Amino acid sequence: MLAARLTPVFAAAFAIVYVIAEQFNIALVTYHPRIREWGWLTEAPRNGPGMYWFGWVGTAFIGALLIALLSLPLTRKGAPQWIGWAVPLATMAAFVYLLRAFFFR
Amino acid sequence: MVTTLLILHGLCAVALLGAITHQTFAVWWPSRKAGGMPSAFRAVHAARFTNGIILLFIVTFILGGVIYPPYRLAVRTYLETARMWSVNGSFELKEQFAAIGLGMLPFYWHVWRQPLDEALRGARRATCAILFFAVWFGFLTGHVVNNVRGIF
Repeated sequence: MLAARLTPVFAAAFAIVYVIAEQFNIALVTYHPRIREWGWLTEAPRNGPGMYWFGWVGTAFIGALLIALLSLPLTRKGAPQWIGWAVPLATMAAFVYLLRAFFFR
Repeated sequence: MVTTLLILHGLCAVALLGAITHQTFAVWWPSRKAGGMPSAFRAVHAARFTNGIILLFIVTFILGGVIYPPYRLAVRTYLETARMWSVNGSFELKEQFAAIGLGMLPFYWHVWRQPLDEALRGARRATCAILFFAVWFGFLTGHVVNNVRGIF
């Protein structure tokens, strides 16, 4: 079944690509809320703060989709199902660590 | 308009919270007979909540994205000026958890597809618990942030 091969890889890849996108600010799009304008990829803030979260989600979606599709030849005998929840869980724990500075000031 | 969307976002979050809590309790602590309220709460058919949870998660996520720019301009700026770092950090965590939860939805749908695969029982329990945590954390954080400074 295709879903059994694609979905665990997609979930794991999405979490990993999202962390990388957030840490290195690799955004598919940038939103400038003050002037209500969108820009492609990571742009410097224009007349106010820039918002990259939408772009990180977009980067993670495209990256995860590509990885899941490219992994299909490797998962002919089935993909390990545990990566679909263990990798996102580990990523959430990693975010708690990465954002710890907010809580220890 | 923003206030209306914020209330709608909150209402969808409440519905999502109820659905994911029902499903998580039913899968982690099942009850065979619905006697009193605590056991009736856990005696639901957990798989029937799946599509509703996916839909509510996506709708709540989109509404959160729509009201995020006003938050970034009015609320986050205030939190930074007021040096409320833990509140600010909690919201940062909320947005990361929500994004990771969104990426898990296809896998969540797969493990809950009927007829249920007994081999995926552990994955069902795990995905449910992770989404349960992400949704509750997001709801409580959003509530606290809104109490500190609402969007107008």
